[in-house]
Amino acid sequence: MYGDQGFTIFDLQLWAEGLGITFGVFLSSSILGLIFGSIIGLIRYYNIIGIGRVLMLGSEFLKNSPVLVQLFLVYFGIPALFTIDLSPVEAAIITLSGNTAAFIAVIVISSIDAIDKKQLEAARSFALSEWQILRLIIYPQSLAFAMPMFVSLAINQLQVTSLVSVIGVVDLTRVGDIINQRTFEPFIVWPIIGVTYFVLAKLVERIGARLEQRFSVHQASSEI
Amino acid sequence: MLDPAVMMEYMPAFWDGFIVTAEVSILSIIGSFIIGLLIALLRISENKVCRFAALFYVDIFRNIPFLVLIFFAYYGLPEVGIYIDAFWTGCFTLSIAVAAYVAETIRAGIQNIDKGIIEAAKSFGFKRVQIYTKIILPIAITSSIRPLGSVFINLILTTSILSAITLGELTSASKIIASTTFRPFEVYMFLVIFYGVLTFALSAVIAGWHKYLNRYNEA
Amino acid sequence: MIEIHDLHKDFGDLKVLKGVDLKIKPGEVVSILGGSGSGKSTLIRCINGLEKITSGSIFVDDFDVRNKKDLMEIRKRCSTVFQQFDLYPHLSVLDNIALAPINVLKQNKKDAKIKAMELLRSVELEEKASVYPAQLSGGQKQRIGICRALAMEPNYLLLDEVTSSLDPEMTAEVLVILKKLAKEGITMISVTHEIGFAQEISDRIVFLDEGKILQNLSKDEFFSDEGGKSDPRIAKFLSKMGNQ
Repeated sequence: MYGDQGFTIFDLQLWAEGLGITFGVFLSSSILGLIFGSIIGLIRYYNIIGIGRVLMLGSEFLKNSPVLVQLFLVYFGIPALFTIDLSPVEAAIITLSGNTAAFIAVIVISSIDAIDKKQLEAARSFALSEWQILRLIIYPQSLAFAMPMFVSLAINQLQVTSLVSVIGVVDLTRVGDIINQRTFEPFIVWPIIGVTYFVLAKLVERIGARLEQRFSVHQASSEI
Repeated sequence: MLDPAVMMEYMPAFWDGFIVTAEVSILSIIGSFIIGLLIALLRISENKVCRFAALFYVDIFRNIPFLVLIFFAYYGLPEVGIYIDAFWTGCFTLSIAVAAYVAETIRAGIQNIDKGIIEAAKSFGFKRVQIYTKIILPIAITSSIRPLGSVFINLILTTSILSAITLGELTSASKIIASTTFRPFEVYMFLVIFYGVLTFALSAVIAGWHKYLNRYNEA
Repeated sequence: MIEIHDLHKDFGDLKVLKGVDLKIKPGEVVSILGGSGSGKSTLIRCINGLEKITSGSIFVDDFDVRNKKDLMEIRKRCSTVFQQFDLYPHLSVLDNIALAPINVLKQNKKDAKIKAMELLRSVELEEKASVYPAQLSGGQKQRIGICRALAMEPNYLLLDEVTSSLDPEMTAEVLVILKKLAKEGITMISVTHEIGFAQEISDRIVFLDEGKILQNLSKDEFFSDEGGKSDPRIAKFLSKMGNQ
């Protein structure tokens, strides 16, 4: 019979590896998403070469369709169409980065919108360059505004990483599935996996709260 | 080469998947709303234990991936003698998990109510239960239509994860079409656009409904 | 010297300035009066390029406002004080003042802050140095706005309705400072509703009506019955403003 083989010490190692993969996918897609999302947001804000709208429309579709389907599109669809090879991890990072970027772009735009534009004119009148205005005035204020949204996005995206198990990435959820299939102990395996995610989420929340404090308007302004 | 016409032949199979997605979505929206409402009431209860239990519920289900929950339910329930199929496992798990988000949304709606209105109701001699059923909840829910709408749209997107427990909904159906046609790019692109248009349309309807219900409150 | 020649400014179909000629010499204090919609705020905003001019020319110390490189030089020489203060909300009062000197004039941080502190002392707000703009009254904000402009050591101070958002008490505290500056010989171009203020500090009054200069007279001439007041439009404006 399939299953009922009991736990071994290797399951612990497997768990640790899964944790590492989950964390790695989360971290790399968050960083890439932050970079690309900010670029898309800025392109839209400065309306560079008129591609802002097209990018934002793309972002809307990424925000409004299931990440699982996006994963299938990238993992199965792109190699089939362009006859290239993509490993599950590559497909996972591409998809999650794109998905995160879509959300980041919207946050970036709404945070810039939240700034009172007349102070930017004042800054311009004092001969500050557009780059200085972005760096010294727009960036610190919009970052303070965006930080809580970034943190809740991060907590959400951490959970979304579990979907990469479906295309064969051996992350925490996939490890749970493997051990569950072998031991047939769902009441032990899934609560452990669940608690691991829960603790990770709380960790992200804790770090996020720190960052929120650090980048709150008043702190960000201690040095110019 | 891109072949956009590839889906046409398979529309009946796609439609069958859509019906399953719609059924699961509707049942889970109803289920999560009922459970969420109860949790929201516990969240603002004067009893400390109730408040803590509700907070724990919300915290758990908002911080554990849905895929983990659904695997737990799908493999765990038979172990305790509950034999239900993927469809009902999906409905129950979605209802329970999404209820956490519903509860937080309704709670925010309740906490935004002008305290004066509640005081006024008390002064007119309304009973506690009446204050909730006639005043607090109607106001909290109508003013939360839009945020509740986003929670439910997210629920619809989450139903795609039920394909992992073999439920034959939209994503499952598309998977089969993709492997029969060897055209995964076209099929999944179609699916992304389909979900996107569906949720755009639903948000537009919800926004309109929200505006209509709140027409007396907004200038 | 600011030289404005045949300045036109359109906003789409709306022609706001229709051929303005004006010269402002160093050390002069010029008040620009006119009803709302006369184009007086637009005129001042054209001088430092916040509005792009439609046609004509503006030269500030021989720098051309239409030239991008020159514009930056003009902005270093002309500092504006704004009607709505427009302070940077994320910076302390001191940093608000020192931001442009440090980043534009490339002053040493420490020196810039010492100078900012001196300016704050001169407007009696030194105890507010580390406070954020949101915690200040309108009058205090405008005094900071003036310090921020002066920190650039401008050749020209542009005042855009600086007291319009203030109640009378706060207006008074701002006017005291501006009068002092006028006496110190800084060149000022002030767009204002405050006739009394214009009368007190100006060397010259420019009256703008429907996008054109109606009168450009010395202060004494402008307020005399034979001079400015002989024009019915100005008389009407003055009596309307005087009654407020």
